[in-house]
Amino acid sequence: MTPQVTSAAMSATAAVPTGHVLAVAAILIAIGTFGVLLRRNLIFMLMALEVALNGAALAFIGAAARWGTADGQVFVLFIMVMAAAEVAVGLALILQIYRRTSTLDADILDTLQG
Amino acid sequence: MSGPLEVLVRMVLTLALAMASAAMLVWVERRLLAAFQDRYGPNRVGPFGLFQLVADSIKLFTKEDWIPPFADRVPFILAPTIIVATGLLSFAVVPFTAAGALVDLNIGVLYFLALSSVSVYSIMLAGMASNSKYSLLGAVRAAGQMISYELAMGLSVASVVAMAGSFNLREIVAAQEGLPYVVLQPIAFLIFLIAGLAESKRSPFDLPEAENEIVAGYHTEYSSMKFAFFFLGEYLALVLFSSIATALFLGGGNGPWLPTIVWFGVKMAAIIYVFIWVRATFPRVRYDRLMAFGWKILVPAAILNLLVTGALVVAGSAGG
Amino acid sequence: MTVLFYASAAVATVGSLLAVTRTKALHALIYLILALFAVALCFLSLGAPFVAALEVIVYAGAIMVLILFVIMMLNLGPESWARERRLLPRHAWLVPTIMAGALVGLTLVAILGAPQQATQAASVGPKAVGVALFSTYLIGVELASVLLLVGLVGAYYLGAKK
Repeated sequence: MTPQVTSAAMSATAAVPTGHVLAVAAILIAIGTFGVLLRRNLIFMLMALEVALNGAALAFIGAAARWGTADGQVFVLFIMVMAAAEVAVGLALILQIYRRTSTLDADILDTLQG
Repeated sequence: MSGPLEVLVRMVLTLALAMASAAMLVWVERRLLAAFQDRYGPNRVGPFGLFQLVADSIKLFTKEDWIPPFADRVPFILAPTIIVATGLLSFAVVPFTAAGALVDLNIGVLYFLALSSVSVYSIMLAGMASNSKYSLLGAVRAAGQMISYELAMGLSVASVVAMAGSFNLREIVAAQEGLPYVVLQPIAFLIFLIAGLAESKRSPFDLPEAENEIVAGYHTEYSSMKFAFFFLGEYLALVLFSSIATALFLGGGNGPWLPTIVWFGVKMAAIIYVFIWVRATFPRVRYDRLMAFGWKILVPAAILNLLVTGALVVAGSAGG
Repeated sequence: MTVLFYASAAVATVGSLLAVTRTKALHALIYLILALFAVALCFLSLGAPFVAALEVIVYAGAIMVLILFVIMMLNLGPESWARERRLLPRHAWLVPTIMAGALVGLTLVAILGAPQQATQAASVGPKAVGVALFSTYLIGVELASVLLLVGLVGAYYLGAKK
C-alpha cells in the first residue's frame, strides 16, 4: 500500500501542546525584533521583519490546530499577502534610498532631525 | 516490517526510473533532433549510438572540477544540488503505477508547484555565487523567466484542480476516467506546456543558457560534476513536466488492455516528443518578448480560463 | 508528527538567528529561506498542509526571490561585508539582546505557565480553507486583492528611475 500522508496518518498519539507552538512563535518574533534592533542595513532589517511575520503566522497556525478550524490558515494567507505587498513596496523604497544616498545605512536618513 | 522496506524499494524504483528516463532522454533528444535536421545523430558509440551517454558521463566525470577562486564557495556548490534535489523530489507525487504515486499527498499539485518555485533558487544562487558578468546576466534572465511562467503554470493547473475538485494527483487522474482533461481544457494544456518549456529553460525559451549570447549563462563557471548536475537537472525537469502533464491533462495511466505504467509511459513519450519537436522548430525568443508573452498573453489567458472553468463548475454543481 | 514539529522548530529558530546575524546579505538570505522551509514543515506537522505548501510557494519561492533580486541589483561587494562587520561590534549586541531576551522571557513564562491545551491532530485540508476563505472571509479576500494592487502600483511608481 502506498504510504498515506493524509489526515488519517497524521494523527499521532501525543499532539503538540498549544503552548509549545506559541512559545516557538514568540521566540521567532523575538528573533525578528532582535534583528531589527541590531542591524543598521535596511535589507537585513527587512529580512528580520520577515522572520517576525513568520512567527506571527506560526501563532495563528497553532491556534488553528488548537480549535481544528480553517480560520487560522485563512489569516496566515492574509499575512502572506500583506508580507508580499510590504516587501514589494519596501524594496522599491530601499532601491530609491540607495540611488539617492549610495548606501543602505538606516542612520543616514536623518535629514528631518530638528 | 514490510512497510518501511516496501517504501524503500518503491523509493529506489521511482528514483531509478526518473534518472533512467532522464539519461535515456539525452540520447533520444540528440537522435531525434538529428532526424529533424536531416543528419545522423550520435551513431558511433555502440549500436545506434546508444552508449553515447556513457561516453558523455566519462567525459564529464574526468574533467577537472574547478571552483573559481572568486566564487562564493557554499552557494556555488549548493546550486546544482538544489536543482537535482527538487527535480527528483517532485517524482514522489507522480502517479505512474496503478497503486498511485510514491506518496499519496493530498496537496500533490501544490507540492509540485512548491518544488518548482524552489528550483528558481538554484539558478539565482549559481549566478550570484559565480561572481562573473555572464553568470549574473544569465541568472537574472532565468529567474525572471521562471517566475513569470510559474505564475501562468499555476493558474493553468488551478483550472484542472477546479474541475477535479482535489489537489491529489491520484484523484485528478481518477477524475479523468471518462474523458482526459486535454479535451475539456485545451487552453490550459497549451499554457501548461508552454510554461513547462519556460520552466525547464528549453528552446525556444533557453536564453538563460544561450551559447551564442552569454557563453553559458548561469552555469558558465561550472565544470565536471556540477555542470553534469545542471545538465541532469534540465532533463529531469523535462521528464517531470511531461509526467505531470500526462497526469493532469492526459489522464495518465488510464487506458484499455495495457497496464497503467505502459500507458503512462506512452503518453509521457508523446509529450516529450512534442517538447523535442518544438526545440527543433522554433527560434529562440528574445527576452523582452518572452516576458511580454508570459505576462500579457499567458497570464490573462490562464485567468480567463480559470474564470470560465470556475463558472461552469459552479453552474454544473448547482444544477446537477 | 510531534517529532517533526520540534525538529523543524529548532531548525527555524537556528536558521532565523543565523539569518539576522550574518554579514553577507546572500548568506543571510539563504539561512532565511532555510528557516522558512522549517516553518512550512512546522505548519505541516500542525495539520495545515495547504498553508505549508503556500508558504514555500509564496513566501520562500516569491518574496525571498524579490529580496534576492534586489541584493543582486545592488551588488554589495566586499566593502559592504567589511562595513557590516564594522557596524556589529561587541557592544552593539548588548541592548538588543537584553530587550529581545526580556520580551521572549516574559512571554515564555506567561505562555508555558498557563495550563497546556493539546492541539488537534487532524489536518485541515485545502477544501475547508477555501470554503472559509470565500464564505466567512470574503471581504478579507477582496481587501487583500486591493492591497496587492496598491502594493503593485506603489512598487512600480516608487521603484521607477526618475
